Amino acid sequence: MATPRLGRRRQRVRFWRRARRIFLLSSIACLVPAAISYIPAMGEKHNVGLGVASVEWMRQNGGNSIVSEIENWYYSLNAPPKGGPALRSLPQVGITATKAKGQPQGHYYRPPRVKPLIHPALPGEGVWKKAAAKAGPRPPVLLTTFRSDPEYPHFVAGIAWIDSSRTHLAYVPGLAEPPEPLDHRGTGEVPSGQRNRVVATFNGGFPLETSNAGLIYRGKVVESMVNGIATIVEYRNGKIDIVRWQSGPRAPADVWFAKQNLPPIIDEGKLNPDLSDGPEWGETVNNAIRVWRSGLGVDAHGNLIYAAADYQTVESLAKILQRAGAVRALELDINEDWTSFISYRHPGALDPSNLLPEMFRPAERYLTPDERDFFAVYLRRDQPW
Amino acid sequence: MKLPRDITPGQAARRALLVDLAAAIALALVAIAVAAGIGVIGFFALLLLLVLVVWIAAEATVKALLRRRSRGRRGTKRARTGSGDSGAYRGG
Repeated sequence: MATPRLGRRRQRVRFWRRARRIFLLSSIACLVPAAISYIPAMGEKHNVGLGVASVEWMRQNGGNSIVSEIENWYYSLNAPPKGGPALRSLPQVGITATKAKGQPQGHYYRPPRVKPLIHPALPGEGVWKKAAAKAGPRPPVLLTTFRSDPEYPHFVAGIAWIDSSRTHLAYVPGLAEPPEPLDHRGTGEVPSGQRNRVVATFNGGFPLETSNAGLIYRGKVVESMVNGIATIVEYRNGKIDIVRWQSGPRAPADVWFAKQNLPPIIDEGKLNPDLSDGPEWGETVNNAIRVWRSGLGVDAHGNLIYAAADYQTVESLAKILQRAGAVRALELDINEDWTSFISYRHPGALDPSNLLPEMFRPAERYLTPDERDFFAVYLRRDQPW
Repeated sequence: MKLPRDITPGQAARRALLVDLAAAIALALVAIAVAAGIGVIGFFALLLLLVLVVWIAAEATVKALLRRRSRGRRGTKRARTGSGDSGAYRGG
Protein backbone atom coordinates (compact mmCIF):
# COMPACT_ATOMS: atom_id res chain seq x y z
CA MET A 1 0.00 0.00 0.00
CA ALA A 2 1.39 3.46 -0.94
CA THR A 3 2.31 5.76 1.96
CA PRO A 4 0.92 9.37 1.90
CA ARG A 5 4.46 10.66 1.18
CA LEU A 6 4.77 8.37 -1.86
CA GLY A 7 1.32 9.48 -3.01
CA ARG A 8 2.31 13.17 -2.79
CA ARG A 9 5.49 12.47 -4.71
CA ARG A 10 3.57 10.68 -7.46
CA GLN A 11 1.15 13.61 -7.65
CA ARG A 12 4.06 16.05 -7.96
CA VAL A 13 5.66 13.99 -10.75
CA ARG A 14 2.31 13.83 -12.56
CA PHE A 15 1.90 17.62 -12.26
CA TRP A 16 5.35 18.33 -13.76
CA ARG A 17 4.80 15.80 -16.53
CA ARG A 18 1.56 17.53 -17.47
CA ALA A 19 3.19 20.97 -17.28
CA ARG A 20 5.96 19.73 -19.56
CA ARG A 21 3.37 18.35 -21.98
CA ILE A 22 1.51 21.68 -22.03
CA PHE A 23 4.74 23.56 -22.81
CA LEU A 24 5.66 21.03 -25.50
CA LEU A 25 2.27 21.36 -27.18
CA SER A 26 2.25 25.16 -26.88
CA SER A 27 5.73 25.46 -28.40
CA ILE A 28 4.55 23.28 -31.32
CA ALA A 29 1.47 25.52 -31.65
CA CYS A 30 3.72 28.62 -31.64
CA LEU A 31 5.92 27.13 -34.35
CA VAL A 32 2.98 26.65 -36.73
CA PRO A 33 2.51 30.36 -37.73
CA ALA A 34 6.29 30.86 -37.73
CA ALA A 35 6.71 27.90 -40.10
CA ILE A 36 3.86 29.17 -42.33
CA SER A 37 5.83 32.42 -42.76
CA TYR A 38 9.36 30.96 -42.76
CA ILE A 39 9.00 28.14 -45.30
CA PRO A 40 7.68 30.27 -48.21
CA ALA A 41 10.24 32.99 -47.33
CA MET A 42 13.07 30.49 -47.69
CA GLY A 43 11.58 29.28 -50.96
CA GLU A 44 11.98 32.72 -52.51
CA LYS A 45 14.95 33.59 -54.72
CA HIS A 46 18.07 34.18 -52.58
CA ASN A 47 21.72 34.70 -53.25
CA VAL A 48 22.74 34.16 -49.64
CA GLY A 49 22.97 30.98 -47.59
CA LEU A 50 20.09 29.52 -45.57
CA GLY A 51 21.63 30.75 -42.30
CA VAL A 52 21.85 34.38 -43.45
CA ALA A 53 18.39 34.20 -45.05
CA SER A 54 16.98 32.80 -41.77
CA VAL A 55 18.57 35.60 -39.76
CA GLU A 56 17.15 38.15 -42.20
CA TRP A 57 13.70 36.54 -41.90
CA MET A 58 13.94 36.79 -38.13
CA ARG A 59 15.01 40.44 -38.32
CA GLN A 60 12.01 41.21 -40.54
CA ASN A 61 9.60 39.44 -38.19
CA GLY A 62 10.25 41.22 -34.94
CA GLY A 63 13.47 39.43 -33.97
CA ASN A 64 15.88 42.24 -34.77
CA SER A 65 16.85 42.95 -31.16
CA ILE A 66 17.42 39.23 -30.44
CA VAL A 67 19.63 38.86 -33.53
CA SER A 68 21.58 42.01 -32.62
CA GLU A 69 22.05 40.81 -29.05
CA ILE A 70 23.36 37.43 -30.22
CA GLU A 71 25.65 39.15 -32.74
CA ASN A 72 26.97 41.44 -30.00
CA TRP A 73 27.82 38.46 -27.79
CA TYR A 74 29.40 36.56 -30.66
CA TYR A 75 31.56 39.43 -31.86
CA SER A 76 32.57 40.41 -28.29
CA LEU A 77 33.73 36.84 -27.64
CA ASN A 78 35.62 36.77 -30.94
CA ALA A 79 37.16 40.23 -30.68
CA PRO A 80 40.65 40.39 -32.18
CA PRO A 81 43.62 40.75 -29.78
CA LYS A 82 45.74 43.89 -29.94
CA GLY A 83 49.19 43.67 -31.47
CA GLY A 84 50.08 40.53 -33.40
CA PRO A 85 52.57 39.95 -36.18
CA ALA A 86 53.30 42.81 -38.52
CA LEU A 87 52.29 42.47 -42.15
CA ARG A 88 55.01 42.13 -44.77
CA SER A 89 52.88 43.10 -47.73
CA LEU A 90 49.46 44.47 -48.57
CA PRO A 91 46.88 42.88 -50.85
CA GLN A 92 47.33 43.90 -54.46
CA VAL A 93 44.51 46.14 -55.60
CA GLY A 94 43.94 47.86 -58.93
CA ILE A 95 46.19 48.05 -61.94
CA THR A 96 49.66 49.57 -61.88
CA ALA A 97 49.62 52.64 -64.12
CA THR A 98 51.69 52.47 -67.30
CA LYS A 99 52.40 55.68 -69.18
CA ALA A 100 50.71 55.39 -72.53
CA LYS A 101 52.51 57.20 -75.31
CA GLY A 102 50.66 59.91 -77.15
CA GLN A 103 47.90 60.27 -74.55
CA PRO A 104 47.12 63.87 -73.65
CA GLN A 105 48.25 64.70 -70.10
CA GLY A 106 45.84 67.49 -69.14
CA HIS A 107 45.42 69.12 -65.74
CA TYR A 108 43.04 67.19 -63.63
CA TYR A 109 42.55 66.51 -59.94
CA ARG A 110 44.01 63.36 -58.42
CA PRO A 111 43.70 62.69 -54.70
CA PRO A 112 46.90 62.83 -52.64
CA ARG A 113 48.39 59.59 -51.34
CA VAL A 114 46.76 58.35 -48.12
CA LYS A 115 49.51 58.95 -45.56
CA PRO A 116 50.49 55.65 -43.90
CA LEU A 117 49.89 55.43 -40.16
CA ILE A 118 52.45 52.72 -39.43
CA HIS A 119 56.13 53.20 -40.25
CA PRO A 120 57.98 52.00 -42.17
CA ALA A 121 55.26 51.97 -44.79
CA LEU A 122 54.75 48.82 -46.85
CA PRO A 123 55.26 48.93 -50.63
CA GLY A 124 52.29 50.63 -52.29
CA GLU A 125 50.65 51.56 -48.97
CA GLY A 126 48.25 54.45 -49.52
CA VAL A 127 49.28 54.78 -53.18
CA TRP A 128 46.33 55.10 -55.55
CA LYS A 129 46.05 52.66 -58.43
CA LYS A 130 43.49 52.74 -61.19
CA ALA A 131 40.69 50.20 -61.01
CA ALA A 132 39.99 49.87 -64.72
CA ALA A 133 42.36 49.00 -67.55
CA LYS A 134 42.63 51.44 -70.46
CA ALA A 135 40.74 54.07 -68.47
CA GLY A 136 42.92 56.84 -69.88
CA PRO A 137 44.96 59.42 -67.96
CA ARG A 138 41.95 60.24 -65.75
CA PRO A 139 40.87 56.94 -64.21
CA PRO A 140 37.29 57.22 -62.92
CA VAL A 141 38.02 54.94 -59.94
CA LEU A 142 41.23 54.69 -57.92
CA LEU A 143 41.95 52.10 -55.27
CA THR A 144 44.37 51.76 -52.40
CA THR A 145 44.93 49.96 -49.11
CA PHE A 146 46.61 50.95 -45.88
CA ARG A 147 47.04 49.68 -42.33
CA SER A 148 44.44 51.63 -40.42
CA ASP A 149 45.31 51.14 -36.75
CA PRO A 150 48.78 51.07 -35.10
CA GLU A 151 47.33 49.04 -32.20
CA TYR A 152 46.18 46.35 -34.63
CA PRO A 153 48.97 46.27 -37.24
CA HIS A 154 47.35 43.47 -39.26
CA PHE A 155 44.14 45.41 -40.02
CA VAL A 156 43.98 46.56 -43.64
CA ALA A 157 41.47 49.08 -44.92
CA GLY A 158 40.45 49.23 -48.57
CA ILE A 159 39.69 52.63 -50.05
CA ALA A 160 38.17 53.61 -53.37
CA TRP A 161 38.09 57.11 -54.78
CA ILE A 162 35.46 57.89 -57.40
CA ASP A 163 35.80 60.84 -59.76
CA SER A 164 32.38 62.53 -59.64
CA SER A 165 33.10 64.62 -62.74
CA ARG A 166 33.50 61.48 -64.89
CA THR A 167 30.95 59.21 -63.26
CA HIS A 168 27.31 59.01 -62.37
CA LEU A 169 26.07 57.26 -59.20
CA ALA A 170 22.85 55.25 -59.35
CA TYR A 171 20.81 53.76 -56.53
CA VAL A 172 19.70 50.21 -57.43
CA PRO A 173 16.93 48.58 -55.33
CA GLY A 174 17.46 44.96 -54.32
CA LEU A 175 14.95 42.12 -54.53
CA ALA A 176 13.93 42.49 -50.86
CA GLU A 177 15.28 45.88 -49.84
CA PRO A 178 13.61 48.32 -49.70
CA PRO A 179 10.61 46.10 -48.81
CA GLU A 180 8.00 48.68 -49.83
CA PRO A 181 6.39 48.31 -53.29
CA LEU A 182 8.31 50.30 -55.91
CA ASP A 183 7.29 51.42 -59.39
CA HIS A 184 10.72 50.62 -60.85
CA ARG A 185 12.28 47.95 -58.70
CA GLY A 186 14.26 46.36 -61.52
CA THR A 187 15.90 42.97 -61.18
CA GLY A 188 18.20 43.67 -58.23
CA GLU A 189 21.35 43.65 -60.38
CA VAL A 190 23.27 45.98 -62.70
CA PRO A 191 20.88 46.37 -65.67
CA SER A 192 22.22 44.65 -68.79
CA GLY A 193 21.83 47.87 -70.78
CA GLN A 194 24.14 49.72 -68.40
CA ARG A 195 26.88 47.12 -68.04
CA ASN A 196 28.97 48.64 -70.79
CA ARG A 197 29.53 51.71 -68.63
CA VAL A 198 29.63 50.29 -65.11
CA VAL A 199 32.98 50.89 -63.42
CA ALA A 200 32.13 49.98 -59.83
CA THR A 201 29.35 48.80 -57.53
CA PHE A 202 29.14 48.92 -53.77
CA ASN A 203 26.79 48.02 -50.91
CA GLY A 204 23.98 50.28 -49.69
CA GLY A 205 23.08 51.17 -46.14
CA PHE A 206 21.20 49.36 -43.39
CA PRO A 207 17.78 47.93 -44.25
CA LEU A 208 15.10 50.57 -43.71
CA GLU A 209 13.70 48.62 -40.77
CA THR A 210 16.94 48.85 -38.80
CA SER A 211 18.15 52.27 -39.91
CA ASN A 212 14.99 54.13 -38.84
CA ALA A 213 15.71 56.44 -41.74
CA GLY A 214 14.19 57.51 -45.03
CA LEU A 215 14.48 56.87 -48.75
CA ILE A 216 13.57 58.86 -51.84
CA TYR A 217 13.71 56.90 -55.10
CA ARG A 218 13.10 58.47 -58.50
CA GLY A 219 11.83 61.62 -56.83
CA LYS A 220 9.22 59.80 -54.70
CA VAL A 221 9.29 59.17 -50.97
CA VAL A 222 9.51 55.45 -50.25
CA GLU A 223 10.06 55.97 -46.53
CA SER A 224 9.68 59.35 -44.81
CA MET A 225 12.95 61.26 -44.56
CA VAL A 226 14.31 62.09 -41.11
CA ASN A 227 16.01 65.38 -40.29
CA GLY A 228 19.55 65.22 -38.94
CA ILE A 229 20.34 61.87 -40.59
CA ALA A 230 23.28 61.50 -42.99
CA THR A 231 21.99 61.23 -46.54
CA ILE A 232 23.46 60.37 -49.93
CA VAL A 233 21.63 62.65 -52.33
CA GLU A 234 21.52 62.75 -56.08
CA TYR A 235 19.97 65.93 -57.42
CA ARG A 236 18.09 66.02 -60.69
CA ASN A 237 21.06 67.81 -62.31
CA GLY A 238 23.22 64.72 -61.61
CA LYS A 239 25.19 66.21 -58.72
CA ILE A 240 25.94 63.82 -55.85
CA ASP A 241 26.48 64.91 -52.25
CA ILE A 242 26.42 63.63 -48.70
CA VAL A 243 24.49 65.94 -46.39
CA ARG A 244 22.93 66.10 -42.97
CA TRP A 245 19.25 66.07 -44.04
CA GLN A 246 17.28 69.18 -43.04
CA SER A 247 14.49 69.22 -45.65
CA GLY A 248 11.75 67.42 -43.70
CA PRO A 249 9.94 64.16 -44.48
CA ARG A 250 8.98 64.96 -48.07
CA ALA A 251 10.97 64.86 -51.31
CA PRO A 252 12.29 68.26 -52.44
CA ALA A 253 11.61 68.93 -56.13
CA ASP A 254 15.31 68.85 -57.08
CA VAL A 255 16.11 65.47 -55.48
CA TRP A 256 16.20 62.32 -57.65
CA PHE A 257 17.25 59.87 -54.95
CA ALA A 258 18.20 60.19 -51.30
CA LYS A 259 19.26 57.32 -49.11
CA GLN A 260 19.63 57.91 -45.40
CA ASN A 261 21.68 55.92 -42.92
CA LEU A 262 22.36 56.91 -39.30
CA PRO A 263 23.85 60.26 -38.23
CA PRO A 264 26.89 61.57 -40.15
CA ILE A 265 30.17 60.08 -38.97
CA ILE A 266 32.13 63.02 -40.41
CA ASP A 267 30.63 66.47 -40.82
CA GLU A 268 32.48 69.54 -42.07
CA GLY A 269 35.76 67.64 -41.84
CA LYS A 270 35.31 66.71 -38.19
CA LEU A 271 34.50 63.37 -36.61
CA ASN A 272 31.06 63.15 -35.03
CA PRO A 273 31.71 63.67 -31.27
CA ASP A 274 29.12 60.97 -30.41
CA LEU A 275 30.85 58.13 -32.28
CA SER A 276 31.37 56.21 -29.05
CA ASP A 277 27.72 56.46 -27.95
CA GLY A 278 25.45 53.51 -28.69
CA PRO A 279 21.77 53.98 -29.40
CA GLU A 280 21.90 56.37 -32.34
CA TRP A 281 23.95 53.94 -34.49
CA GLY A 282 21.04 51.74 -35.54
CA GLU A 283 19.17 48.74 -34.20
CA THR A 284 21.96 46.37 -35.05
CA VAL A 285 25.34 45.38 -33.63
CA ASN A 286 26.76 47.87 -31.20
CA ASN A 287 28.84 50.72 -32.65
CA ALA A 288 31.88 49.61 -30.60
CA ILE A 289 31.78 46.00 -31.82
CA ARG A 290 34.52 45.17 -34.32
CA VAL A 291 32.97 43.81 -37.52
CA TRP A 292 33.22 44.40 -41.25
CA ARG A 293 32.06 47.96 -41.77
CA SER A 294 31.81 50.21 -44.78
CA GLY A 295 31.26 53.91 -45.29
CA LEU A 296 30.99 56.55 -47.96
CA GLY A 297 32.27 60.10 -47.89
CA VAL A 298 32.87 63.06 -50.14
CA ASP A 299 36.17 64.91 -50.39
CA ALA A 300 36.57 68.68 -50.57
CA HIS A 301 36.24 68.49 -54.39
CA GLY A 302 32.93 66.59 -54.31
CA ASN A 303 34.41 63.20 -55.26
CA LEU A 304 33.23 60.07 -53.50
CA ILE A 305 35.40 58.01 -51.15
CA TYR A 306 34.34 54.51 -50.18
CA ALA A 307 36.06 52.62 -47.35
CA ALA A 308 35.65 49.12 -45.97
CA ALA A 309 37.58 46.93 -43.58
CA ASP A 310 37.12 44.06 -41.18
CA TYR A 311 37.26 44.54 -37.38
CA GLN A 312 36.11 48.16 -37.39
CA THR A 313 34.07 50.19 -34.95
CA VAL A 314 32.04 53.18 -36.12
CA GLU A 315 34.81 55.42 -34.80
CA SER A 316 37.69 53.61 -36.51
CA LEU A 317 35.75 53.58 -39.80
CA ALA A 318 35.23 57.33 -39.53
CA LYS A 319 38.97 57.81 -38.92
CA ILE A 320 39.80 55.75 -42.03
CA LEU A 321 37.49 57.90 -44.17
CA GLN A 322 38.87 61.09 -42.65
CA ARG A 323 42.45 59.98 -43.37
CA ALA A 324 41.44 59.20 -46.96
CA GLY A 325 40.24 62.79 -47.35
CA ALA A 326 36.49 62.67 -46.63
CA VAL A 327 34.99 65.87 -45.27
CA ARG A 328 31.46 64.48 -44.92
CA ALA A 329 30.68 60.80 -44.52
CA LEU A 330 28.15 58.23 -43.41
CA GLU A 331 28.33 54.61 -42.41
CA LEU A 332 26.95 52.13 -44.93
CA ASP A 333 26.13 48.46 -44.38
CA ILE A 334 28.09 46.26 -41.99
CA ASN A 335 28.93 42.56 -41.48
CA GLU A 336 30.80 40.35 -43.92
CA ASP A 337 27.65 39.24 -45.73
CA TRP A 338 26.71 42.74 -46.82
CA THR A 339 29.98 44.62 -47.36
CA SER A 340 31.09 44.71 -51.00
CA PHE A 341 32.99 47.04 -53.27
CA ILE A 342 33.53 45.69 -56.74
CA SER A 343 35.38 47.34 -59.61
CA TYR A 344 35.25 46.20 -63.23
CA ARG A 345 38.48 46.27 -65.21
CA HIS A 346 36.93 46.18 -68.68
CA PRO A 347 33.73 47.50 -70.29
CA GLY A 348 30.77 45.14 -70.12
CA ALA A 349 31.28 44.49 -66.38
CA LEU A 350 34.13 42.17 -67.31
CA ASP A 351 36.84 41.01 -64.91
CA PRO A 352 35.16 42.13 -61.68
CA SER A 353 37.29 42.22 -58.53
CA ASN A 354 36.61 42.89 -54.87
CA LEU A 355 38.32 45.84 -53.23
CA LEU A 356 39.82 43.52 -50.59
CA PRO A 357 40.47 39.82 -51.17
CA GLU A 358 38.92 39.01 -47.75
CA MET A 359 35.55 40.38 -48.83
CA PHE A 360 33.18 37.48 -48.33
CA ARG A 361 30.74 37.92 -51.20
CA PRO A 362 31.85 37.04 -54.74
CA ALA A 363 32.92 39.76 -57.16
CA GLU A 364 29.96 38.81 -59.41
CA ARG A 365 27.55 39.77 -56.62
CA TYR A 366 25.77 42.63 -58.33
CA LEU A 367 25.73 40.94 -61.74
CA THR A 368 23.12 38.54 -60.35
CA PRO A 369 19.93 39.50 -58.47
CA ASP A 370 20.75 40.61 -54.91
CA GLU A 371 18.57 40.92 -51.82
CA ARG A 372 19.86 44.29 -50.76
CA ASP A 373 19.91 47.66 -52.48
CA PHE A 374 23.26 48.92 -53.73
CA PHE A 375 24.97 51.67 -55.66
CA ALA A 376 26.34 51.43 -59.18
CA VAL A 377 28.93 53.83 -60.56
CA TYR A 378 28.63 54.40 -64.30
CA LEU A 379 31.00 56.25 -66.57
CA ARG A 380 29.17 59.34 -67.86
CA ARG A 381 27.98 59.05 -71.47
CA ASP A 382 30.33 61.81 -72.66
CA GLN A 383 33.34 60.10 -71.06
CA PRO A 384 35.40 57.62 -73.11
CA TRP A 385 36.47 54.33 -71.54
CA MET B 1 -23.14 19.63 -16.82
CA LYS B 2 -21.02 17.32 -14.72
CA LEU B 3 -18.34 15.15 -16.21
CA PRO B 4 -18.71 11.46 -15.39
CA ARG B 5 -16.41 10.38 -12.60
CA ASP B 6 -16.40 6.65 -13.07
CA ILE B 7 -14.18 6.37 -16.09
CA THR B 8 -11.46 3.95 -17.12
CA PRO B 9 -7.79 4.99 -16.79
CA GLY B 10 -7.59 5.22 -20.59
CA GLN B 11 -10.55 7.65 -20.71
CA ALA B 12 -8.98 9.70 -17.90
CA ALA B 13 -5.71 9.92 -19.83
CA ARG B 14 -7.51 11.09 -22.99
CA ARG B 15 -9.47 13.66 -20.99
CA ALA B 16 -6.25 14.96 -19.44
CA LEU B 17 -4.66 15.22 -22.90
CA LEU B 18 -7.62 17.25 -24.17
CA VAL B 19 -7.39 19.63 -21.19
CA ASP B 20 -3.62 19.98 -21.70
CA LEU B 21 -4.09 20.67 -25.41
CA ALA B 22 -6.62 23.42 -24.67
CA ALA B 23 -4.27 24.95 -22.11
CA ALA B 24 -1.36 24.76 -24.60
CA ILE B 25 -3.36 26.51 -27.33
CA ALA B 26 -4.42 29.24 -24.91
CA LEU B 27 -0.80 29.68 -23.82
CA ALA B 28 0.37 29.81 -27.46
CA LEU B 29 -2.26 32.45 -28.31
CA VAL B 30 -1.15 34.60 -25.37
CA ALA B 31 2.52 34.22 -26.39
CA ILE B 32 1.75 35.15 -30.03
CA ALA B 33 -0.28 38.16 -28.91
CA VAL B 34 2.40 39.38 -26.50
CA ALA B 35 5.53 38.73 -28.64
CA ALA B 36 6.93 41.37 -30.99
CA GLY B 37 6.54 39.09 -34.01
CA ILE B 38 6.45 35.53 -35.24
CA GLY B 39 10.25 35.55 -35.63
CA VAL B 40 10.60 36.05 -31.88
CA ILE B 41 7.92 33.51 -31.04
CA GLY B 42 9.47 30.99 -33.45
CA PHE B 43 12.92 31.53 -31.94
CA PHE B 44 11.78 30.96 -28.35
CA ALA B 45 9.38 28.14 -29.27
CA LEU B 46 12.17 26.32 -31.09
CA LEU B 47 14.50 26.74 -28.10
CA LEU B 48 11.81 25.50 -25.71
CA LEU B 49 11.02 22.56 -27.97
CA LEU B 50 14.70 21.59 -28.12
CA VAL B 51 15.07 21.81 -24.33
CA LEU B 52 11.93 19.72 -23.77
CA VAL B 53 12.92 17.12 -26.34
CA VAL B 54 16.38 16.82 -24.73
CA TRP B 55 14.74 16.57 -21.28
CA ILE B 56 12.31 13.84 -22.40
CA ALA B 57 15.07 11.94 -24.20
CA ALA B 58 17.36 12.16 -21.14
CA GLU B 59 14.55 10.97 -18.85
CA ALA B 60 13.71 8.06 -21.15
CA THR B 61 17.38 7.06 -21.34
CA VAL B 62 17.80 7.15 -17.54
CA LYS B 63 14.61 5.12 -17.10
CA ALA B 64 15.73 2.54 -19.66
CA LEU B 65 19.14 2.25 -17.96
CA LEU B 66 17.57 1.83 -14.51
CA ARG B 67 15.13 -0.77 -15.83
CA ARG B 68 17.97 -2.70 -17.50
CA ARG B 69 20.03 -2.55 -14.30
CA SER B 70 17.16 -3.72 -12.10
CA ARG B 71 16.34 -6.50 -14.59
CA GLY B 72 20.00 -7.52 -14.55
CA ARG B 73 20.01 -7.56 -10.74
CA ARG B 74 16.83 -9.59 -10.63
CA GLY B 75 18.34 -12.02 -13.15
CA THR B 76 21.51 -12.44 -11.06
CA LYS B 77 19.44 -12.90 -7.92
CA ARG B 78 17.35 -15.55 -9.65
CA ALA B 79 20.46 -17.29 -10.94
CA ARG B 80 22.03 -17.18 -7.45
CA THR B 81 18.88 -18.57 -5.88
CA GLY B 82 18.84 -21.32 -8.49
CA SER B 83 22.41 -22.41 -7.81
CA GLY B 84 21.73 -22.26 -4.05
CA ASP B 85 18.78 -24.52 -4.54
CA SER B 86 20.77 -26.98 -6.52
CA GLY B 87 23.58 -26.66 -3.95
CA ALA B 88 21.06 -27.32 -1.23
CA TYR B 89 19.84 -30.28 -3.15
CA ARG B 90 23.35 -31.52 -3.69
CA GLY B 91 24.16 -30.93 -0.02
CA GLY B 92 21.02 -32.79 1.04
